[in-house]
Amino acid sequence: MPKVKIPRKSTIVDMTAMCDVSFLLLTFFILTAKFRPDELVAVDIPISHSTSTFDDAITIMINKEGKAYISLKESKTRFLMLEKMIEKYGDTYPQLKTLTDNQKQFFSLIETWGTPIEDMGRVLSMNGTQLQEYQKTQMPGIPKDSIHNQLGDWVQASRYATEGNIKIAIKSDKDTNIEPVKEVVKDLTAKDIHRFLLVTSLAGGGSSASAGNTKTGE
Amino acid sequence: MADIDTSGGGGKHKGGVRSKKMSTRVDLTPMVDLAFLLITFFMLTTTLNKPKAMQLNMPKKVEKEEKQEIGECQVMNILIDTLDQVWYYEGLQVAGLQKTDFSGDAGIRKQILKMIKKVPNECPLTSKGTKRDAIVLIKMMKGARYKNMVDILDEMDITGCKIYAIQEPDPIEVEAVENGGVVKTFNKDVVKE
Repeated sequence: MPKVKIPRKSTIVDMTAMCDVSFLLLTFFILTAKFRPDELVAVDIPISHSTSTFDDAITIMINKEGKAYISLKESKTRFLMLEKMIEKYGDTYPQLKTLTDNQKQFFSLIETWGTPIEDMGRVLSMNGTQLQEYQKTQMPGIPKDSIHNQLGDWVQASRYATEGNIKIAIKSDKDTNIEPVKEVVKDLTAKDIHRFLLVTSLAGGGSSASAGNTKTGE
Repeated sequence: MADIDTSGGGGKHKGGVRSKKMSTRVDLTPMVDLAFLLITFFMLTTTLNKPKAMQLNMPKKVEKEEKQEIGECQVMNILIDTLDQVWYYEGLQVAGLQKTDFSGDAGIRKQILKMIKKVPNECPLTSKGTKRDAIVLIKMMKGARYKNMVDILDEMDITGCKIYAIQEPDPIEVEAVENGGVVKTFNKDVVKE
């Protein structure tokens, strides 16, 4: 009797389909990825139930020490803002008028800044590495007391630059003392700005369920 | 690599040498590995949660103030101190100060909801004959944390309280909170805001 041969089945799994899927996902993630920007100002934002998002806003960051910084995504707006500020402060600080176009262009590359306007000339004559070092360690914050209300001026400049189409967001650390926040709000109300966005992150699910409606007051 | 030899042993045929046929199949396993590694990387580095924001409107400073009729019984004062504690009292006189916290349903939220329910039903009508709504005055004490301001504004949102304002605390309120809720200097004419 002949031997019955049991054919051995192949254990190879066809990987083509899996490969297709994984590359599709990979493409999706690569295209949608926005890398977390290098946060120069460490701000740990509080949580709330608010679900409305925002974009195109000038963000005033207030860190734990109560120093204020401004952050803005649009580089063109930043350029216009600096021009406006030079116009305003040029008489008080004549060195601002000597800023070259190159330096102004350099400013428009800085996304987050916290430099008093009188110091702008010095900062803008730094080179890249010096600036990085400065931003990381020495940025003194933008003056925001009622006499040197530069913060208010910057925000106003941003409103000029965008013809009023800009939202003002306040991004403060959750452990910041309330006083600097109040000061910022006061600075802005002094410039006739009354609507703010307080940047928060969404509370993790569960706790909000009991509340039912989370409609905005207006 | 990932497959087991299934050639079945044999292969010894009589006669001539036959060149072995090479399989055209490519092993895709390492490629899939790599792809998933990259997927994981991109998934972890993407910021999926966009920052959210809550709206805050501050009052405009007007020369001629439009006076709104405020009844004593519709006002609720909320004070927040440096230790994340919440103090509240009803009316315009600093009396009966009570302590609570932000703990979900049992904390300040319960009190605000109670107030919102109570005011339209129990308070006398306005001169125009309309029902009154609760007014919440939020007072952040010096040195309070920003987080608490967001928390209380969030509570306003959650409870659906429509009229609220952030104010500076009166000296007498500061004193009361420092004394653990007891008002020592009795002041009859608390400034009406």
